[in-house]
Amino acid sequence: MIKVDEKNIAWSSDMTIATLLEQMEDVEFCSVIRLNGKLVSSPKFKEVKIPDNSNIQLLPLVAGG
Amino acid sequence: MGQVSLSEVKSTSYERSEVKKGYTDKSLHINVGSNDIRIHSIEEKIKEKFIGGKGYDLWLLWNSVKGTTKWNDPENAICISSGPLGGTPGYPGGGKSIVTTISPLTCAPIDSNVGGYFGPYKKFSGFDVIEINGKAKEDIVILIDGIEQEIKIFEAKDLPKDSYELSNELTTYFDEKKPVNVSVVTSGPGAEHTNFGCLNFTWFDAGRKIVRYKQAGRGGVGTVFADKKIKAVVARYGAVSMKSNNPADLDGLKVVTKSHAKEINELDPKQNRMALVGTTHLVPIMNDHDCLPVNNFKFGSHPGGKLIGEEVYEHIFDKGFDGCWRGCTVACAHGVKDFTPMTGPYKGKKVFVDGPEYETVAGCGSNLGIFDAYTILELNFYCDAYGVDTISVGTSIAFIMECFENKIITIEHTGGLDLSFGNRKNALELVHQMAEGNGFGVIVGKGIRQMKDFFAKEYGADRAFLQDIGMESKGLEFSEYMTKESLAQQGGYGLSLKGAQHDEAWLIFLDMVHNFMPTFENKAEALHWFPMFRTWFSLCGLCKLPWNDIVPEDNKNTSEPAKVEKHINWYAQFFSTVTGRKVSPEDLIPMSEAVYNFQRIFNLKMGLGTREHDTLPYRSMGPVTIEEYESRASRYDTQLKEKYTIDISNMETKDKVALLRQKREEQYELLKDAVYKRRGWTQKGIPTVETVKRLGIDFPEVLEVLKQNNVV
Repeated sequence: MIKVDEKNIAWSSDMTIATLLEQMEDVEFCSVIRLNGKLVSSPKFKEVKIPDNSNIQLLPLVAGG
Repeated sequence: MGQVSLSEVKSTSYERSEVKKGYTDKSLHINVGSNDIRIHSIEEKIKEKFIGGKGYDLWLLWNSVKGTTKWNDPENAICISSGPLGGTPGYPGGGKSIVTTISPLTCAPIDSNVGGYFGPYKKFSGFDVIEINGKAKEDIVILIDGIEQEIKIFEAKDLPKDSYELSNELTTYFDEKKPVNVSVVTSGPGAEHTNFGCLNFTWFDAGRKIVRYKQAGRGGVGTVFADKKIKAVVARYGAVSMKSNNPADLDGLKVVTKSHAKEINELDPKQNRMALVGTTHLVPIMNDHDCLPVNNFKFGSHPGGKLIGEEVYEHIFDKGFDGCWRGCTVACAHGVKDFTPMTGPYKGKKVFVDGPEYETVAGCGSNLGIFDAYTILELNFYCDAYGVDTISVGTSIAFIMECFENKIITIEHTGGLDLSFGNRKNALELVHQMAEGNGFGVIVGKGIRQMKDFFAKEYGADRAFLQDIGMESKGLEFSEYMTKESLAQQGGYGLSLKGAQHDEAWLIFLDMVHNFMPTFENKAEALHWFPMFRTWFSLCGLCKLPWNDIVPEDNKNTSEPAKVEKHINWYAQFFSTVTGRKVSPEDLIPMSEAVYNFQRIFNLKMGLGTREHDTLPYRSMGPVTIEEYESRASRYDTQLKEKYTIDISNMETKDKVALLRQKREEQYELLKDAVYKRRGWTQKGIPTVETVKRLGIDFPEVLEVLKQNNVV
C-alpha cells in the first residue's frame, strides 16, 4: 500500500511514477512529485520505481520566478 | 562597532500625513545636490491612473528626466515607493518596496521589487513615494524619521564600507533601544565600481536579534545610489498593525488576510515547502527539466545539480521565522548562521548570510560550473555586502568563463586569473576586485553589453560570436533560466520592458512541459496577461510568490489553473478592502495595462522601446556551437525532421546548427508580430494612439513622444 496525497492506493512491485499517474484522474498538470520527501520531475517518471509503503505528494503547476 | 560619525547638514520638520485607505497622498522629494527637501501632494488623477508603487515611481521619474538624460546625470532620480496595500501585516508578501531609476546597464527605466521594511515604514512616516535626485559632494545619509516627524541629511565620514556592517551600524545608531523601528537602504563598494550595483533593504530580525536584508538587485539601482554619494537612506517608524493603512473595511481586510495566510500555512508544507527551503526547490526541478543554466547557458542540466539544491540547503539554513515582512506565512527569506568565509575581508569571521535563493544558486553556481554549496554561499555573502547583483555577477562571469574557454581572453588579460568554468577561487577573486575597483573585475563589472564592445574593439574578438553567447537583452543580464525549448519564455525575456528578467512572465513550464500554448496567438495571449497581472503586484507593494507558488488544492479543476483564479479574487478583495475602491478580478489587468504601456513609451522617450530593441542573443533560442547541438542531437534532429520536415541524413552538424537557427529566429519574429498585435502596438512595437486613449494615458507629453516616432 502507498499513500498519494493522503489517500491509500494499492502497490505493485513494478510500479513507477508514470504507471501510477496513468491510473489516476486529473493529473495532467503534474510534472513534479515528492516521493518520500524527495523531488522527482516528469522526465524521470518512467524510470523511478515506487517502493512499497511510500508517501507521495503530487505538486501543483510549477510557477517559478 | 561604533564607527558612525554623522554631521547634520539639513533638517526639516514636517507634520506626518495620516494614512487614509492605504495612501498618504504625499510624495517626498530630496535633491542631494542642493539639500532641498520638499513635500508635494499627489493629484487624484495620478492616483487613479498610476495606482502607486512602480506607477508612482515611473510618473515621478518621467517628470524628472529628459530623453537625453544619462544614468549618472544629476536629474536622474531614484524613486522608492510601496503601494496602497504595502505594509499590511499578516498578508503574505504584503510589505514590498519598488525602486525605479534610469539604469546604467539599459539606459532606460529599471524597476526592482524588494522585501524588508523600508517601503511600509516610509509610507507610515507620511510618504507614498520618495524621489531622490541631484548629486552630493560628500558621502551622505538621509533619515526619514516618522516618529519624530523630521527629515535629516547628514554628511558621513569613516562609515563602514560594506553593506553588511553599515546596515548594522546605522540600525543601532538610529534606534539602539528599538532596532526593529529602523529599516536601512544601502549599497556598497561594488556599486561604486560596477554598473550592476544593488541596494540592500533591511529589517531587524527580532527572533535572532540581527539585521537582515533583501536586495533590489536588477539593473544597477545601487550604482546610481552610489554615484549620488548616498551611503544610506534610513526610515524610522514605530508599531505597525493592520490599522496602520487605515483601511476602508478593516473587518473585510482581516477576513481576506486570514484566508490567504491560513491557506499558505496549510498547503506550503504539502507543496514547495518554501517556509523551509525558500526557492531552492527549483534547483533540482530545473535541472531535471534541462532548464538549469550550466556553463553560460550552454546546457540545462548537470549531475552536480543535486549538490546545490533544496536537499543540501534545507540542512544548512538556520531554523526560525524568515519572513521579509511581518507575519508573511510564505517566509521564504532564509539564511545561514555562523558561515565562515574563506576569502576576503571577512575571512575566518563568522557571518550571517541572507540567502541563497534559486537565482543566486544558479547564477553563481551551476552557470559558472560551480557545484559547491559553500562557495555559492560565499559569493552570495560578498555580492550582498559589496552591493552587487548576484544575477548580473553570475551571468557576467559565466560569459567571461566562456570567453576564456574560447581563448578570446587569456591570463594576460585577466591579470593571471584562470577563469575556466568551475574555478571557484577566481570567481570569488573577481567579486573582490569589483569591490576594490581594480584588476579584471573592473572590466567584468561593466556588464556584458559593454564587455562585448570592449573585447571586439580591444582584443579583436569575433563580434558576432560574442553577441550569440553574451546573455543580455536590452543591456540587462539574463536571470537564470534556460529558454532554448520555450519560445514563450524567449518572449518573456526579449519582450519584457526592462530587459532579460523573468518577473514579467515565467512561462517555461506552461509552454514547454504542459504545451498549454501551442499557437502564436496562445503565446501572445500569455505574453499579454501574465506581464500585466505580475505588474499589478509592483503597483500595490506586494510580492508575487503567494499568488502562484502555493495554490489551492482544487486549483487544477478550475478553467484556467495557471491564473489561480481563487487568489486573484482574494487580491481584488484585498485592494477593495484597503482602498475602498471596489474592484473585481477583471479590473486588475486594466490597472496594470496603463502603467505597462506608459513604461513602454518611457523607453521610447529614452530613444529605445522599439522592435529592434526586443532582440535576444541566439544562445537563448538554440544551440550556438556544435558542442551544444551534439549534446542534445536527438532533440534537435527530431525537430528538424518532424517539425520542419527537412531531410538531414547527409548534413553535417554545422549545417544543422545553421538551419535550426534560421527556423528558430523566424519563429521569434513571428512571436513578436503576434504579441505586438495583442498588446495593441504597431508592428514596430509602439503602443498606438488608440491604445493609449483606451487606457487613459493620452497625456500631451505621451502623445508627443508617439508623434515623434510617427505614431499618430
